[in-house]
Amino acid sequence: MFKVRFCFEKTGTAAYISHLDLMKCLQRSFTRAGIPVRYSQGFNPHIEMSIVVPLSTGYESKGDLCDLDLICDELPADFADRLNAALPRGMRVLSAKQADRPVNQIAYCAYEIRFPAGDEAAMGELFASPVCMEKKSKRGSREVDLLDYIKEIAFYREDETTVCRCVLAAGNDPLNPMYLTKALKNAGLVPEDAAAHYIRTGILDENCQNFYN
Amino acid sequence: MNDKIRACLENVRKPARYTGGEYNAVYKDKNKVDLRFAFCFPDIYEIGMSHLGSKILYGMLNGMEGVWCERAYAPFLDMEAEMRKRGQPLYALESGDPVGEFDILGFTLQYEMNYTGVLNMLDLAGVPLYSRQRTSLSPLVVAGGPCVYNAEPVADFFDIIMIGEGEEMWPELIALYRRARQEKMDKSAFLREAASIGGIYVPSLYDVTYHDDGTVAAITPRESAPPVVMKRVVKDLDKAYYPDKFIVPSTEIVFDRAMVELFRGCRRGCRFCQAGYTYRPIRAKKPETLEKQAKALIASTGWDEVSLTSLSSSDYPHLETLCESLVDYFEPMHVSLALPSLRADSFNLALVENVQKVRKSGLTFAPEAGTQRLRDVINKNLREDDLLEACKVAFAAGYNGVKLYFMMGLPTETDEDLLGISQIVRHVIATFREYGKNKSRGVRVNVGISIFVPKAQTPFQWLGQISAEEAERRKQLLMDSLKIKNVTYSIHNYQTSFLEAVFARGDRRLAPVLERAWRLGCRLDGWDENFNFDAWMQAFSDCGVDPAFYANRQLGEDEMLPWDHISSGVTKRYLYGELEQAKRGIATPDCKAGCRNCGALRLTGGGKCDV
Ligand code: SF4
Repeated sequence: MFKVRFCFEKTGTAAYISHLDLMKCLQRSFTRAGIPVRYSQGFNPHIEMSIVVPLSTGYESKGDLCDLDLICDELPADFADRLNAALPRGMRVLSAKQADRPVNQIAYCAYEIRFPAGDEAAMGELFASPVCMEKKSKRGSREVDLLDYIKEIAFYREDETTVCRCVLAAGNDPLNPMYLTKALKNAGLVPEDAAAHYIRTGILDENCQNFYN
Repeated sequence: MNDKIRACLENVRKPARYTGGEYNAVYKDKNKVDLRFAFCFPDIYEIGMSHLGSKILYGMLNGMEGVWCERAYAPFLDMEAEMRKRGQPLYALESGDPVGEFDILGFTLQYEMNYTGVLNMLDLAGVPLYSRQRTSLSPLVVAGGPCVYNAEPVADFFDIIMIGEGEEMWPELIALYRRARQEKMDKSAFLREAASIGGIYVPSLYDVTYHDDGTVAAITPRESAPPVVMKRVVKDLDKAYYPDKFIVPSTEIVFDRAMVELFRGCRRGCRFCQAGYTYRPIRAKKPETLEKQAKALIASTGWDEVSLTSLSSSDYPHLETLCESLVDYFEPMHVSLALPSLRADSFNLALVENVQKVRKSGLTFAPEAGTQRLRDVINKNLREDDLLEACKVAFAAGYNGVKLYFMMGLPTETDEDLLGISQIVRHVIATFREYGKNKSRGVRVNVGISIFVPKAQTPFQWLGQISAEEAERRKQLLMDSLKIKNVTYSIHNYQTSFLEAVFARGDRRLAPVLERAWRLGCRLDGWDENFNFDAWMQAFSDCGVDPAFYANRQLGEDEMLPWDHISSGVTKRYLYGELEQAKRGIATPDCKAGCRNCGALRLTGGGKCDV
C-alpha cells in the first residue's frame, strides 16, 4: 500500500463544487484515470481518501491537499498526468508525493480576498485593534476577537480591485475568511451587496511554512 | 463565467448547478462554429441532467462539425431572483453566453407542469414568447419530447415542434437551417420548407377553428403543410447514434448514473399509458450493442452504476444473458446494475439478486388498480397471484419491504376497486408473515397513489378526469382503508393532476392562460413549495377559460380532437377499439401473443416489432 498526498488547484467553475460533492468528483476521477485506489473492507466498500482541509463552496484554491490510499507500493510515475486528464474543468493536480507529515501539523491557511476597490488604508486600520464578532463553530457560536485568529493581514490595490492577503488560523479552531469580509462590511468599508472573491493560496504549518513542502 | 454570474452565485443554494465545467461537458471555440445551439430543459438542473434523451441530443449535436450545443436549465427561485436583480440573462452553462443570442433554442417538453418553465426561460433569455413575435431566423425556438403528442397549449410559443425521435430529424433540420441562412430565406419561407421534413410540425401553418360549444371545428393546414404530421422514428436502434460519453455532474442529481436503453416502445398496451402507445413500434437493441455502450460509458464517466432503462425492463428478450455478462464484467470494478421498471409477473429473483449483488435496493411493483376487474379495464395484465408470488419469493430471500404503485380515479372505478388496494396490501403483509425470512424485522409496505390523468393519443383520451369533490371523497376512503400497521402511503395532490389533465388534452386557447399564470408568478409548478393553485385559477378566470372543459369532459367519438393532426403512428381507430374493450372490461393480450395492427409499423415501413 502507498499513501499518496497530492496537491491540486480548484479554480473557476470548480470553486463551486461543495466539499461533499468534491469527494465524489475525485472518486470518479480516480476511476476514470485508472488509479489503483484501495477500497475499504466491509458491507459498503468505499475509496479510502480524505481532503485534508475542507474549503467553503465558492472559494478557489491554488493548492488544496488530498490523501489517498493506493494498492501499489510506490507512486505511479504518471499519477498526476493521468488524473489531470480525468478531472472536471478548473481542477488540476500540481504534484503528488508520499503522505509523510501528520495533518495535525497544519496551523494556518493563507487566503486572498478580492473586493471592488475601496479604502485600503482604512481597512488595514480596522484590523489594527481588536475586532469582536460572533463566530460560529461546531460547538455553537461565541464572541471572539478576530485578531486572535489573524496571523498576518495586508491590503493593497490591483487595478479596480482591493486585495486582502491574510494568514488565518486553521486546525481545531479555524477562521473562515468570510469573517473578515463581514467585519469590513460592518465597518462600511465594503458595500453590503459587493461580491467577495476568495482564494486559498496555501496551507501552512506552525512556522508559516508550506505544510506540503 | 463573468462577474455578474459570479455575484449571483454568491447568494444561491447549490451553485454548482449553474456553472457548467462538469467532466465531459463540451467546450468549443465559438469563433470556429457556425451554429450555436442551446439545449433548454424547462426544469431544474437535477431533473434535466438525469434525462437520457438530452444526453443523446447533446452528444449527437456536438458530434456535428460546426455545431456547438450547450445547456440551459430553469434556475431555481433564488437564482432567478439574483439574475433578475443583477440583469443577468439566461446563459448557457458552457460558455456563459446569453442564450438569447444563439441560433437555435431546443426545448424538451417532458411534463405539462414544465410549460411555465418554458415561458420563464424565454423571458429570462430576453426572447419574445410567441412565435409570431419573433420575425427573424434566429433564435429559432423548437420543442421535442413526450408532450408533443398534444402540444397545442404551447404550440403558439414554438416555431417548430418535432414529433418523435430526433436522431434523424435534427441533422435534416440543421442542414435546412444552414441553407436558409446562406440563401437569406426569411423565417416564413424557412418554416414552409421545414414542414416538408418528416416529423416536423410547424404550428403556425395550421389554422384552428372552433364550434360554438367550444369543441374543435377544423384544423386546416396552409401552404402545403401536411394534413397530419407523422411521428419520425429510428428504424434500427443498433445503428442509431448513442453517446459513448455522458456529462458527469459535479453535484448531486436525481439519476446520477450511466444509462443504456434496452428498447423503445412497449408491448403491454396499458390503456392509460401515453408512452406505451407513443413510443411504438417496439424496437430492441442487441445485447452486444448494449454491452459495448455500457462499457464505454462506465470507462468515460467513472460512474459506479449503470441503469438498463425501458418502459418495462423485464420484457427485454435477452435480459438474463445481458445481465449475467454485465455483472461478470462490472462486479470486480465495483459497478452495480440498476434494473428499474420490473414487472411482478415476470419477476425473477435470481436475476434481481444478481443485479443487486453490489448494492441492494428496494422492490417496486405497479399493480395500478385494486381489483382484477379494474386491471382488465385499464389493461394492466397483472394478476394478484403473480404479485403475491413475486413478494413471496423476495420475502423468503430476505427482502422485507416493497413499494406498490396504484392510481385512483381510473375509468369505471368503484369504491370496491379502491378498497381492493388495501386488500392487496393486507395480502402482501400476510405473505410476509408466512414466508418472510426475517419475520422479526417486520415488513414495510409503501403505497404510492397517483390520480389518473387522461392523456392524448391513448385509448382513454376521450374520458374525463374525476372532479375535485369526488377525488376528495375517494381519497378519504383510501386514507381510512390504508391505516394499517407497517404501511405508509402517499396520495398525489389532486390540484396538480387536474392541471396536468387540462393541459394534456388542451388546445391553443390555453396559451394565454399559461402566459397569464406565469405573469402571476407560476413557475416550477412541479415543486410543491412553489405551486400556487389559486394563481392558476385566477389565470383561467382572467382569460375566460373553463378548465373543467378540458379536464373533466368526456369527448365524443366523432369529435375532432385538438391533436388530430399529429399522429404517433397508432391509429385513432385502434385507440377507440381499445376504449370499447375497456368499457366491456376485456383485456387485450400483449403484442407477444400476436400483432394487433395498431398502426405503428407504418412508421418503419413494415417489418415486425421486437417482442
Ligand atoms: S400492435 Fe403490432 S405494431 Fe403495434 S406495437 Fe404491438 S406488435 Fe407492434
